[in-house]
Amino acid sequence: MLTRKPLRIRYDKRFGLLLISPWVIGLLLFKLLPILASLGISFTNFQLLTPEQTRFTGLENYTRLIHDDAVGYVLFETIALGITTIPLQLVASIFLASLLSNPRLKSGNLMRTLFFLPSIIPGVAIFFMWIGFADPATGWLNKLILHPLGLTGFNNLFSDGAIAFLFSISSLWSVGPGMLIMLGALQGLPAEIQEAARVDGAGPLVRFFYITLPLISPAIFFAIVINMIAIFGGVILLDRGSIFSGSFSPYDGYVSFILFEKHDLGYAASLAWFFFIIVMIVVYALFSSARRWVYYPDRDA
Amino acid sequence: MATQSKQKWLTPHNYLSLKLWETMGTGLFNFLIFLLVFVYLFPMIFMVATSLMEGPQLTDRNAPAYPARHIRYEYQGRSYAVYNVPFSNGEVRHLALVEPGRTSSQFIDPQNPDGGFIAWDGNWRQLIGVYEFHVTLNNFTNLFSALRISQMLQNTLIMTVIAEVGVLLSSIIVAYGFSRFPLPGGDLLFYILIATILIPEKVTLIPTYFFFVRILHWEGTWLPILVPFFFGNAVYIFLLRQNFKSIPKDLDEAAMLDGAGPLRILFQVILPQSWPTVITVSLLHFFYMWNETRQAALYLSISRDLAPISFGVQSFQSLSPIQNQLQAGALILMSVPVIVLLISQRYFMRDMVVTGMEK
Repeated sequence: MLTRKPLRIRYDKRFGLLLISPWVIGLLLFKLLPILASLGISFTNFQLLTPEQTRFTGLENYTRLIHDDAVGYVLFETIALGITTIPLQLVASIFLASLLSNPRLKSGNLMRTLFFLPSIIPGVAIFFMWIGFADPATGWLNKLILHPLGLTGFNNLFSDGAIAFLFSISSLWSVGPGMLIMLGALQGLPAEIQEAARVDGAGPLVRFFYITLPLISPAIFFAIVINMIAIFGGVILLDRGSIFSGSFSPYDGYVSFILFEKHDLGYAASLAWFFFIIVMIVVYALFSSARRWVYYPDRDA
Repeated sequence: MATQSKQKWLTPHNYLSLKLWETMGTGLFNFLIFLLVFVYLFPMIFMVATSLMEGPQLTDRNAPAYPARHIRYEYQGRSYAVYNVPFSNGEVRHLALVEPGRTSSQFIDPQNPDGGFIAWDGNWRQLIGVYEFHVTLNNFTNLFSALRISQMLQNTLIMTVIAEVGVLLSSIIVAYGFSRFPLPGGDLLFYILIATILIPEKVTLIPTYFFFVRILHWEGTWLPILVPFFFGNAVYIFLLRQNFKSIPKDLDEAAMLDGAGPLRILFQVILPQSWPTVITVSLLHFFYMWNETRQAALYLSISRDLAPISFGVQSFQSLSPIQNQLQAGALILMSVPVIVLLISQRYFMRDMVVTGMEK
């Protein structure tokens, strides 16, 4: 190997460009141009039903947005959704991954598949299944779980408590990708470090919090990014958004409402762009915070 | 740690009891995991059970949770419902209700129909019926005849095949470009690729919709849904690029010495080694297509004949069907992806784990 003359293989630059050209064209057609056009529309009073009256209105949509109480409300709800479901999913995926990576587990592959299964079920089917399950009259939630436990159960499927319950269910039922990320990270852990800490007298909890968690922090970061994108409305692996609102997030639902019910395209575009800016700020903050708590092995070397 | 502390009071010299403890611990652990899976997937059991029920069971408060029907008894050409009838001596008999009354009812004993009427005092509405296990496939056959389920399944299948071809071909070629070739701007283009994953769908929605509907007049066709896949998908390009990068370039060089061009290297050297990732990506896209309703709602609401299954079953809800029909529809919808996952689990689950590790 060492004696062989290093052969300079020529990867042609222009051919490379040709290869990625489908993506570049797609980027222009379906991402960059629409984003810019969306920005342009956000400065107008474009209405779907009266397109001929469209004129430039400057920042009017944006001042309207700041004074719109509904925007603050749905934004708060979206953030609250993220703050509650992302940690829930994270804890559940780490918990499941540690259970399922235990060598004592029989038929581990099947168990992993069963926990992953809900993540590939179409959102519509999950929605039907859970509203049926929680249905006060015919579902099993009251009949087989809550009433035998002596609890009152749901009377109204659309009360606030029931919706919150269904939302947390929907996040627990899409734990699959996060669980697989954590399984991968746990499998990559070097056994020697655990062994050394054990010899030094560290208990299982100490080892978990001071050794395992820091070592899998890159996977945790990755999982947070994936879950955050899902809530913000990007399209990611196996994502089906928040199935119970019919849309990704409360904010997304509000944009859909302005778009499809009010047909106020100019305002909808400004709402979307405002959210886009917030997403970029959050993503930037997340990535810059990563330096402090995500462990990269090569950085120490 | 756990085994060490147990050893102290478990007579450590006795190897057998320690082994017994180990076996019991393993058994208990597996039992708990099994219990957890059972609880986790419990609504699926509800779905299957409900889809096999007949309508009357859903309105009957006393009916059991499993698919069942109220036992009826045929007496002198007419059919009567059978109830659990408690008597003052503590005996509970299965009797057919012939003549209901508010304070007193007449029953007949199916075991002994010639014994004549049996009078019982009390409100018959408080009696609990006698049920037997009974499943029906009517919900499914009704859906297939009423909803054109088979056409919608066929639509989704054709769309999936076209989208798979497009997204795999374009993503593989683009990922090859990103993994092997020097590109202007260095890694900048790759960072842009990653950044596009983060763009919220709504920001691009309005102009894209106008482009497809007002300029290209593609409303009511599959084109707005399928064409974008032919320009690659950022997530798949990323996954494939990571995999291609892990394949040593020595093999490229060897093939190049043999006179292979860059495309032949891709198809004859790189792809044969990365088929697990290619399969994973195609499965991801398969699940995506089976789940897709948003684009269909935007572009296909005017042409019902072209509706994919997910969208069709979703609109089925607007007919406000009763639960057993609804669950049967959902079960038909989810059965295909579930079967595909169970068949492919060996490859899919392993490769997804590996993919997670690479990041």
